[in-house]
Amino acid sequence: MNDSFTHRVLPYDGMDQLLDGALPFLHDGVDAGDRVLAVCGTARETLLRDALGPAASAVEFTDATAWYAHPSRTLADCLSDADDTAWQGRRLRVLGDPVWASRSPLEVAEWQRVEAVLNVAFRGTGASLLCPYAATLPAGVVAAARKTHPETVRGARALANPGFVDPWVFCEQCDREPLPAPPPGTDTFKIDRPDLFWLRAYVSEFARQTPLPEDGVQRLLVAVTEIVTNALRHGEPPIVLRMWTDAPDGRPGFVCEVSDGGRWPAGSGYGLIPPRPRAADSGGRFGLWAVRLLCSVVQIRTGDHGSVVRLRLDLPFSAEVNGA
Amino acid sequence: MRWASKFPAAAYAEPITDLDGQAMEKPWFAKRPVSGVRPGDHGWLAYSGSEERDRVIGPFVQEGLQTNEKVVYVTDAPPERLPGLGTRHHINVDAYRRAGQLRVISRQDACLDRYGGFEPARMVDTLGREVDKAFDQGFRAVRITTDYSWLLNEPRRSDLGQVLGCEHRVGDAVSPSTMAMAICQIDRHACPRDELIALRDTHEVLVEVNPEFDDGILKIVRTFEPDGLRVEGELDAARHAVFAEKLTQVSKDRGRVHLDFSRLAFIDLGGLHLLARHATVLPASEPLVLDHLAPDVESVIEMVGWHRLPGLTRGTERVLSDSEGIG
Repeated sequence: MNDSFTHRVLPYDGMDQLLDGALPFLHDGVDAGDRVLAVCGTARETLLRDALGPAASAVEFTDATAWYAHPSRTLADCLSDADDTAWQGRRLRVLGDPVWASRSPLEVAEWQRVEAVLNVAFRGTGASLLCPYAATLPAGVVAAARKTHPETVRGARALANPGFVDPWVFCEQCDREPLPAPPPGTDTFKIDRPDLFWLRAYVSEFARQTPLPEDGVQRLLVAVTEIVTNALRHGEPPIVLRMWTDAPDGRPGFVCEVSDGGRWPAGSGYGLIPPRPRAADSGGRFGLWAVRLLCSVVQIRTGDHGSVVRLRLDLPFSAEVNGA
Repeated sequence: MRWASKFPAAAYAEPITDLDGQAMEKPWFAKRPVSGVRPGDHGWLAYSGSEERDRVIGPFVQEGLQTNEKVVYVTDAPPERLPGLGTRHHINVDAYRRAGQLRVISRQDACLDRYGGFEPARMVDTLGREVDKAFDQGFRAVRITTDYSWLLNEPRRSDLGQVLGCEHRVGDAVSPSTMAMAICQIDRHACPRDELIALRDTHEVLVEVNPEFDDGILKIVRTFEPDGLRVEGELDAARHAVFAEKLTQVSKDRGRVHLDFSRLAFIDLGGLHLLARHATVLPASEPLVLDHLAPDVESVIEMVGWHRLPGLTRGTERVLSDSEGIG
């Protein structure tokens, strides 16, 4: 089996162009005996089934909203599907249409990051991923797709994409935008003791006065413990914790920020690539990657003036918070 | 009989009632490590095997002898073979017996009638006499222990009611005492479960092994049948090393290891990773079993994904069963 992995963008304007690119991709997979997945909504599913004819029975249709539930989780799940399929001597083939319309700018950025880093994560799996992007999407979303996919599909042909950007460079570009400042009056809490049980007491006390549900508090405690442990081990003092709630773009969230005076070394990976269960030792990578699973969004900025990790946990939509 | 009583009359435990005035079914127990047992404790130890028994009764006996307390052991076993005694433990049994600090009393002398039948009243009299004597001898406390298993699993087993009656009377005598403390031992396989529960319920204190580690934040206690550890409190990077050490110890030459997480309030990602790494060196047929997970901790594991922590298995659900103190 050829284990070269492909990740292609299918820009389309209208259903004909979509089918022109998607049908050969799906048919080729069915003919080759691949595990073929089509991730889409019900309307798209009906369209594809009609067009595929009898071959539709060999395609697994999966609901896009459930599949694209969480950037890091979706990436990890899809990667382990690819590994498992390769283990069985087959190739995983996914037609995936991320849900872009209902996302906040913060979430859009995280999904774009996934599109970029999966180029690294899926190397050697032999998987084929095809991502249709509608011309009706915001211009920025389509432009980013040209940076995150090595190839573009036109009908049955795949062409090298001259706009493709190295995934880590893409992430750096995303991170050039500074984080918005914490709300004025946010308490700062300096961490100078290595034992963290007291820190958890402080964090949970604060969090329980916000609409963060109880299981969210526990996830927060696990995440903040990991980030502070890392800062104590690898960072530089002062290590400072800040917490607040806000609602940029109307999406209420609980934010916990840990900053320190150190700078992350180049090539850190930032927990974006899921550790592989069959890999020998993934100890260093497990923690930060798992933090991404526990939080809604994790933002990291590092430079000469220190480093900041911002953990964001979504609050219920009904929650009233500052700035909502 | 004196028993050096705190109260003028025997203190009967009031039945616990709820607001409707109905007796609640669940009795209340204090749970103590063996070194925390103190005068007035009528303690219960349903052991799974000799290892667990020796790790409780051994310290109970030794700490008594080392601190000017009298030890009364009712048994037919030779003294050198008793938990915590004998040359293996560098305890000169004969010297302690001569000094009257160690009393090893045969069943016949302690609690059997002339036909060899169990006579609860004699047991209570014997123990009372030993406590009185200890007071006169100037010992500051008396540690009493015996193993009841033979009463329930031998061919001529006694009536359960007789044993329960005996336990009630011993309990009534020990509980108000400022001098006497007792641990009643029973092999938990010696009798059916309902009898075990009935016997347990005549005690107020459940005795267990001393913790392997306890610094007020994290407590690690060895468990038996299943072999494993009970981990209480919070586990994070500050205590990974000691936890890893205890986990390695308990896993040595043992089959499936269970971790009782019922009182674990927090485990960090490093701790989960440590568990998974430990599990990878175990045979596939013997995964590391996590029992009684608190919902918060379980939801974190679910978020990370059980499938991403190969070698870890979810054990029994978290139910506060009536099995405390009987396994």
